[in-house]
Amino acid sequence: MVDSNHKGEVVFENVTRAVQTKKTETIILDHCSFVIESGKLTVLIGPSGCGKTTIINLIAGYEKPDRGKVLIDGKPVAGPDRERLVVFQETALFPWLTCYDNVMFGPLATKVMTREEAHEQAINLLEKVGLGDFLYKYPMQLSGGMMRRAELARALINRPTVMLMDEPFRGLDAMTRELMQEYYLRLVEESHGTHLFVTSEIEEAIFLADRLIIMTNKPSRVKHALDIDLPRPRIASVLRSKRYLELKALTLEILHEEAVKASMASGKADIAIDSGLRT
Amino acid sequence: MANWTTVRRIMSVLLFLLAWTILVQFTGQFHQIPTPAAVFAALFQLKLGVIFTEIFRSFVRVLCGFLLGLLIGFPIGVAIGYSRIANYLLFPAVEMVRPIPPIAWIPLTVLFFINIESQIVFLTFYGAFFPIVYNTMGGISEVDIRLPRAAMSFGINRMGMLWKIILPAAMPQIFTGMKVAIGITWLMVVAAEMIASKGGLGYWVWYHHTVMEYPMVILGMGIIGLCGALCSVGIDVIGSHFMKWRNIF
Repeated sequence: MVDSNHKGEVVFENVTRAVQTKKTETIILDHCSFVIESGKLTVLIGPSGCGKTTIINLIAGYEKPDRGKVLIDGKPVAGPDRERLVVFQETALFPWLTCYDNVMFGPLATKVMTREEAHEQAINLLEKVGLGDFLYKYPMQLSGGMMRRAELARALINRPTVMLMDEPFRGLDAMTRELMQEYYLRLVEESHGTHLFVTSEIEEAIFLADRLIIMTNKPSRVKHALDIDLPRPRIASVLRSKRYLELKALTLEILHEEAVKASMASGKADIAIDSGLRT
Repeated sequence: MANWTTVRRIMSVLLFLLAWTILVQFTGQFHQIPTPAAVFAALFQLKLGVIFTEIFRSFVRVLCGFLLGLLIGFPIGVAIGYSRIANYLLFPAVEMVRPIPPIAWIPLTVLFFINIESQIVFLTFYGAFFPIVYNTMGGISEVDIRLPRAAMSFGINRMGMLWKIILPAAMPQIFTGMKVAIGITWLMVVAAEMIASKGGLGYWVWYHHTVMEYPMVILGMGIIGLCGALCSVGIDVIGSHFMKWRNIF
């Protein structure tokens, strides 16, 4: 049931991607195929090292697949573009620019709107993410959570077709993380854009997702895809609902299998999924 | 109310002076070296006109050498760091010359440069060149790859990438290179002046050594150190203007 006007649909068709080191070639993705539906929040979850960042790099255009195709709205990804923007786990804000200048960077570089329009939208967005009082501060003067919010604003002002989030809330303390998830959900639920969110936290994954894609170990492919049919807008109380707990148990089971395989393969206890995993 | 840290610092200096005095006055070997008191007394015998002329002479040579090093070394460092072709072309030659210590060049400079002033400036330039090239090159090639990637997604062109992203990101390392360079430049100036006998602080110190006025020698050493430190601070001040975004400043 694919609408021909779909904006932001990403298709991975039999993608293989390997990384060369001096002695060996490690295959990270192996004939990996999946679809990220437009207008939905898809979450990618999987064991550590399973190529989640590689997938993000391939969609963003920073890497090219060795085999197979990465398609956006039917066309192969040619390179980096403001259609597909990334928010990284570690901040990629330009440290020599203020918050405001960081957010203005995209519009000024691409000249898609006038300076006045860009200025208005920048101020609006920064206020929306709660940084109205920090417009002219430098990234080094901000906390981790604030930097993520600034990066969100910096990406969103360009109205990208696909937003790629690579474990953006990792390393934040629990309270900040919860707040960030709420901020993010409000933004997503308002904009109806296409989002791909990568995480290794199961609770976060199910809380955010419309659709959950679970990866295998490397060489990775899709192990399982789940539709998360929890009601929107998502609020904290959903974490206590029966359906949520069912989904969580199911996800845990699937991931457990892969985690056991990983720890046997690598010879160390590679427990990457940190919510409630028992050996 | 005395600040405890300041008190500790003063005490450290006093202890150093005390050890110095004891070593000189009460052991057999070092009795030729003046005591701190003698050096302090020499301070009052300084002819201000003379010393400031020599300081000025050295400073001019340092500045010329340093600025030349920057003018020539900075573009080379940027090219090697940013362009693979420039790297292949230029880096091997630079690497080959680098191990030769600046002082070893003195005989050759006499051949190549007609007057002593230009010989001295060449040596100071040489001292500044390598730290600038290597730190610029390093700073540029070590920019976190996610920054240019983000800029590419936002649609920046190749020139914009160099000026707006790579250079600002590499600034801290470039300034480190400049600080190291100015230190080595001072080193070179003093060495060259001691040999060349054409004025400057190095010459001044050497002259007082030949007439065995050692309090002046030590005073001169202190003044050289102070000038070097001032230059370093000067670069920090300029740096803090270019890098307002660093919390440290």
